[in-house]
Amino acid sequence: MKNIFSGMNLNQKLGSFVGILGVAALFLGNPYTGSTATVNTKELTALIQQEADHVEAEQLADWIIQGKSDFRLLDLRSEAEFAQYHIPGAENAPLAGLSDYPVHRNDKVILYSEGGIHAAQAWILFKAREYKSAYVLRGGLDEWKEKILFPTVLLKPSQQDLAAYEKKKNVSKFFGGSPQTGSGEAKTGPQMAMPKLEMPSQAVPPGGAKKKKKEGC
Amino acid sequence: MNAPFFKFGFFNDDVSLIVAFVIGIGFGFFLERAGFGSARKLCAQFYLTDMAVFKVMFTAIITAMVGLYYLSLAGFVDLSLVNVNPTFIVPQTIGGLILGVGFVVGGYCPGTSCVAASTGRIDGAVYLAGILVGVFAFGEAFPLLKGFYNSTSMGSITLPELLGVSYGLVVFLVVLMAVGGFAGATWVEKKFAGAKS
Amino acid sequence: MTAQSKAVSMNVIGVAEKTERTPHPYSNPYLAGLGLGLVLLAAFVVMGRGLGASGAFSSLVATGVQAVAPEHAKSNEYFAEYLGDGSQHPLKDWLVFEVLGVLVGGFVSGILAGRLRKTVEKGPNISVRGRLTYAFVGGIIMGVGAKLARGCTSGQALTGGAVLGVGSWAFMMMVFAGAYAAAYFVRRQWR
Repeated sequence: MKNIFSGMNLNQKLGSFVGILGVAALFLGNPYTGSTATVNTKELTALIQQEADHVEAEQLADWIIQGKSDFRLLDLRSEAEFAQYHIPGAENAPLAGLSDYPVHRNDKVILYSEGGIHAAQAWILFKAREYKSAYVLRGGLDEWKEKILFPTVLLKPSQQDLAAYEKKKNVSKFFGGSPQTGSGEAKTGPQMAMPKLEMPSQAVPPGGAKKKKKEGC
Repeated sequence: MNAPFFKFGFFNDDVSLIVAFVIGIGFGFFLERAGFGSARKLCAQFYLTDMAVFKVMFTAIITAMVGLYYLSLAGFVDLSLVNVNPTFIVPQTIGGLILGVGFVVGGYCPGTSCVAASTGRIDGAVYLAGILVGVFAFGEAFPLLKGFYNSTSMGSITLPELLGVSYGLVVFLVVLMAVGGFAGATWVEKKFAGAKS
Repeated sequence: MTAQSKAVSMNVIGVAEKTERTPHPYSNPYLAGLGLGLVLLAAFVVMGRGLGASGAFSSLVATGVQAVAPEHAKSNEYFAEYLGDGSQHPLKDWLVFEVLGVLVGGFVSGILAGRLRKTVEKGPNISVRGRLTYAFVGGIIMGVGAKLARGCTSGQALTGGAVLGVGSWAFMMMVFAGAYAAAYFVRRQWR
């Protein structure tokens, strides 16, 4: 065996080597290993406990009003639901195609869904794939409606409550919602009319905060 | 899984430009090493007297292909993040034919013409100027060509996907074809170069 | 040319002339190909993309058109794509920097091998003017073909070939076919 090998010239040695690799490839598996990921359970648990895994609706509303564009807002619901209403600046990333959805690992991502369950599940997937800044919108769209679009005030509000409520009214108007007055019971059922969709003009441009660069030749 | 490094956010766009420059240096260096700064050597391929173009190209292809395959298998590279140019089968076929003609008429391809120009070949520099004119003409004619240019799209499809076979099988077949090709090329060179000289 | 740059280029030509006397033979093509393949692999691993050349020329042309006739450049869909949305200079592009590197890399290898020479590559049966005409016309044809095919041999054939892209392999075969077919008709250039 050794004689055969040393009898070959350099070219033949190179050819044999790559030939062996090629034959081995026949038996080895699928090279697309990107869909498996390892999860650091301790790290994730810690994040959840420290409440570093979510952002509040009010925070998000503030960021949108201020025109911050350092994050990407992903709406995990279907296209139809997205078309009906979505938080201004959100991109539609249905859960089904989420693993292919282009998001850079360094991007700050906020995930939301109807109630928050899908968002929380997607959060685990994102963290498993080592996205550094992924957050769930706490309460999802439900809490967004309750706190931002249709804020309410107590029946017998204090001075503080009133002041806070004034602010909430402004925020609500900004997003085209309708502040609730009078009765202390929140009437944010599905009967509430959702605001139309031409919202704050400084919406994040389609396709995310960065224009996707072509990588051709 | 850490690679491709850029897509895992290891560095930003500006640094990637430096990476581009360094990689370009390596690219140009090996092209010149192979003698591809010389139009005569390049075109000898098409008269069967010097098969270096075939040898270099396919060695490079199988090196990168096999390397990528094994690095992905090992879990180091996320293959799904490596860019695959989308296929537009008819324009690419016709474009390839035209490119082949331009190659042997002009003597270079865009990459090698840069190497030629930087090693003093005047025809390389003239060729570069021609490319700019050709690109400009294409751009001007684009409204007319747009439909054709965007036709027959197949997406970023790979050979394993198209043929419905495993990636590893295609890797094996390509290696087989290349190594067989190299043996054949050596034979062709002996036959045609020998006869000429 | 300023006096300084003239001095620099005289120095370079001096070096070139000195090393030109004994040009080294070309490398073993398989080793050169191995080196090239490793560079390509490095691009995949570091950037997630491969090599290219024709895209840089498109950026250059688009920039030039924009400088001369900005309205026209913006309204032309093809050039506009290379000019981007205006948020950054179109020449601040990965391929442009890569091509600059190719120029440097080729030069360095040429110097080391003593192959720097101000010359016109041509066969014995054609004049310099004829060869340069062919080169220019060939370049034009190549420019059109490369844009139509969305790449050239470095981008589509090498890169696309290594990731097993269907269009890239079809392209590669057609390049060889086209070149072999046309070779007979221009043989006067090279033989």
